[in-house]
Amino acid sequence: MPITTTRRRLLAGSAAALALPAFARAQGAVKPRLTAISQWSAGSDGAAITALGKKFEEKGGTWQHSPVPGFTTEMMNKLRAQIIAGDPPACSQLKGPEIAAWSKIAPTVDLDAVVAAAGYEKVVAPDLAKLHKPGGKWIALPLQIYSTNMLFLSKRAMDKAKADKIPVTWADFNDLAEKMKSGGVAYPVANGGTRPDDGQKFEAALAGISPISYRAAIMNLEKKALEGPEIKAAFAQVRKIADWMDPNVGAQHFSTNLKRFVDGDMGMMIMGGWAQGVLRNAGFKFDDFMIAPGPSDNGKPVFLLNADAFIFWQRKEPDLQAGQTLMAQLVMDPAIQTMYSQITGSIPVRTDVDLSGEGWSDGQRRTAAALKDSIASNQAVLSLAHNMAQENGMTAAMIDVITEYVKNKTIKPEQAATRLAEAVEGAR
Amino acid sequence: MTIAVSTGPGRPATSDRVRRLPEYLAIWVPLLLSAAHLIAFSLWTIWISFTPSTLIPVTGWVGLRNYSAVAASRNWQIALDNLLLFGSAFVLLSLATGLILAILLDQRIRGENVLRSIFLYPLAVSFVVTGTVWSWLLNPGLGIQKLVHDLGWTSFRFDWLIDRDMAIWTIVIAAIWQSSGFAMALFLAGLRSVDADLIKAAQIDGAGPVRMYRRVILPTLWPITITVIVIQLQFAISTFDLVRALTNGGPGIATQLPALVVYDLMFQRSLLGRGAAAAVLMLLLLLAVLLPYAAWRYVQRRRAIHA
Repeated sequence: MPITTTRRRLLAGSAAALALPAFARAQGAVKPRLTAISQWSAGSDGAAITALGKKFEEKGGTWQHSPVPGFTTEMMNKLRAQIIAGDPPACSQLKGPEIAAWSKIAPTVDLDAVVAAAGYEKVVAPDLAKLHKPGGKWIALPLQIYSTNMLFLSKRAMDKAKADKIPVTWADFNDLAEKMKSGGVAYPVANGGTRPDDGQKFEAALAGISPISYRAAIMNLEKKALEGPEIKAAFAQVRKIADWMDPNVGAQHFSTNLKRFVDGDMGMMIMGGWAQGVLRNAGFKFDDFMIAPGPSDNGKPVFLLNADAFIFWQRKEPDLQAGQTLMAQLVMDPAIQTMYSQITGSIPVRTDVDLSGEGWSDGQRRTAAALKDSIASNQAVLSLAHNMAQENGMTAAMIDVITEYVKNKTIKPEQAATRLAEAVEGAR
Repeated sequence: MTIAVSTGPGRPATSDRVRRLPEYLAIWVPLLLSAAHLIAFSLWTIWISFTPSTLIPVTGWVGLRNYSAVAASRNWQIALDNLLLFGSAFVLLSLATGLILAILLDQRIRGENVLRSIFLYPLAVSFVVTGTVWSWLLNPGLGIQKLVHDLGWTSFRFDWLIDRDMAIWTIVIAAIWQSSGFAMALFLAGLRSVDADLIKAAQIDGAGPVRMYRRVILPTLWPITITVIVIQLQFAISTFDLVRALTNGGPGIATQLPALVVYDLMFQRSLLGRGAAAAVLMLLLLLAVLLPYAAWRYVQRRRAIHA
């Protein structure tokens, strides 16, 4: 068949070709694009968000992630600058009570429809869900969960102490530390010297002694609980922990000491579940260490919740809006949560993900089980050291007292308790 | 200046004005811009310090509440104590080190250029680098203490970095290392500009080297000394990066300094109002140093003109 092309046909054809993109846009088939900022740039965190970006691109989106390395507050400074400039990212990392605080300074996206479509609310822990819908509407989505009070045990240090039982209560923990010390472990507790690191020691101690007191004093800031005997007991336990730590770490990050921990030069580490990802990323094997829920005096696991989340900021651009919907669907997807948690060492937010398969560690399975049990026994509480329990200003005021106490051995537990209560009053 | 203007022939010719236009532009435009920036942002910070701003700047009036909250906080009190100790120790010691180095270099020694470069070199290094390097050197588990232990002297202790009471001195050490070369350079220039006739006269009168320095040369250095003190003091008050890299205010909060508190309040705690109040207090501290200096300079100049 000979191809005959009239001028008119050619014109009509090119007109149609020109009109096509506009038509497609009108149909909502715009290419989704997402601008995102987070603090995750390197190591397992960086690898995980890069993998998430790949999935986003596989679904036909354009992924524009700008990491801001360092502490979360550094990322917040960039977010603040962008919000003041009227150009917020389509989506940013943010978590805990900061979601409510920041949602007051710039408009956020109402995610109720997309959350309902995914049936997500049923599979998220209620306390956690509350943090992500401050005004009653979903504006942020949790991505992964960590417990900040996991207990990591060095296999070689356990061998030196001739122990094989995982400590359950603080008394067990103290016994094991003594055994390690006499067995030749230089420092029974592996530690870093950063502020959150010190804060974690305290929150693990208090929540392990009494989750009820933790909820009242740290989460609800009740005056009576803040002056209660549990706070003093917690500070006393922190002193014991501090005496077993290496004082030479200065202000170093906990990961500096991981080799000494694996070598059995240091024995136990109270750290968030993310340490598993860091250990694995540093080339250590699952045989080198054990992971268990942190000590709890009533024997039932206590879970100090730390959840990373994304908040979605209102944008007018259709491609960014499409990108937000796609991102929200991805973040809630069990397959994506599985992929993400397997890279970072966290556990999925969804309580219906099966962790029995390959790719999950015993530690993660134990963490997930601990979460389930602690929710059932109302012993899942929000972490102070990682900005889940209070806004930054209040958190910092409390951590000031804790970090000074950890480093200054002349402060008595009673004094520290008084100072903590005063710091809370001052920051209110 | 005043004399030049008053003896001028009325108004300068227009062609002269046009010819000098680039000069005026080169000086006044950047000067006005930077002055406007400085003043506008200072005023803005002062305004913020009276508002209830937290995450972002907001309007409103809370009076002196931010100031009283900052002044009552332990962090700020510790920062002020530290500033007093750090400021005086750092200024005096860097002055002394700089002066001694300058006098030693002034002895017409061989390799003076090389030595001068070596002593000045730390100034070319950023404070973050200085802080980081010293944090390794002073870390008992990594640096000097470990080195001496490995050499066999195992009872040696040098753990100031992790000692709450001594940690502030590690900042003094690093700061002196960094900036005594600067003091040295200024002093050396001063020593070299001493009138040769004065020295000759003193030599003829039979003054020995010690006496010569004490009685003849050093007294001519005091304007330079004051300049060095003022520059070092304003550095001490605004010290931030060095401490942040070296101790980050630790152990605990033992080495807090005002600039760290400002940063902490504004950017870590998201309390812009309080951070601005702390910043204004810092500005007042700086003015307490700079205003007397400016007054002194003014008096000096008046004297020079009338002499």
